[in-house]
Amino acid sequence: MNVAIKSITEQRDFVVSSSSLKEVRSFSREVFEKVNINQDLKDELVLAIAEAAQNIVKHAYQGEDTDDKMEIKISLENGQLEIGFFDKGRPVEEKNVRHRKIDDIKPGGLGTFFIQQIMDAVVFKEGEKPWINHLVLTKNLNA
Amino acid sequence: MSYKVTEEGNISTVHLDGEIDMDVTEKAKEIIMPLIEAKKEVHLNLKEVQYMDSSGISVLIESHQKATELGTKVVLKEISKSVLKVIMMAKLEQILNLD
Repeated sequence: MNVAIKSITEQRDFVVSSSSLKEVRSFSREVFEKVNINQDLKDELVLAIAEAAQNIVKHAYQGEDTDDKMEIKISLENGQLEIGFFDKGRPVEEKNVRHRKIDDIKPGGLGTFFIQQIMDAVVFKEGEKPWINHLVLTKNLNA
Repeated sequence: MSYKVTEEGNISTVHLDGEIDMDVTEKAKEIIMPLIEAKKEVHLNLKEVQYMDSSGISVLIESHQKATELGTKVVLKEISKSVLKVIMMAKLEQILNLD
């Protein structure tokens, strides 16, 4: 796939709240408007980003009200997309992050499944100060 | 998200409009669940829903399960392309009632 822009880096802070998810999607859509990929893929990437942001609200902060911000950084270099999420919530242990079995029909646990379906790799890192968690989603847009 | 409810016999149709994410799921449940509890057959018209995430899908699953438990049903009508894609990604097209 020919991505029109070879290099792009954009980042934005959002209050950790479910009411920020609309802004997260708007930001992501603005960034992907600059990239020559098909609309279906853009929609999937926006969904993956919004699900990861939702997980920060739901799990790292357990839905508590906070003034804390989370940062989302979208970088594209030669077709390699990397999306970073930084937050100051409770430390996320990768072993505790798993999606539900897809044939187990119950509400919840689908967000992580969607992220894994859409992205090539999902990596949890310890955040560098002042961040606690650093999640990295990657996808090769040349594939 | 905005909505409109129409009634015809024992069928309540909820026309949802906009984006359905974690921020509006409680509101969506407040609209849909009482209709199911009143044992109405509930039709959810999703023609004007441009975006739905995993939280929205959870509302569909909960509604479907509650309706089944109470001996009624929830039918998804005029599903927009973007919502259908997410339903299929969740592999729920054989579970939920799609029309």
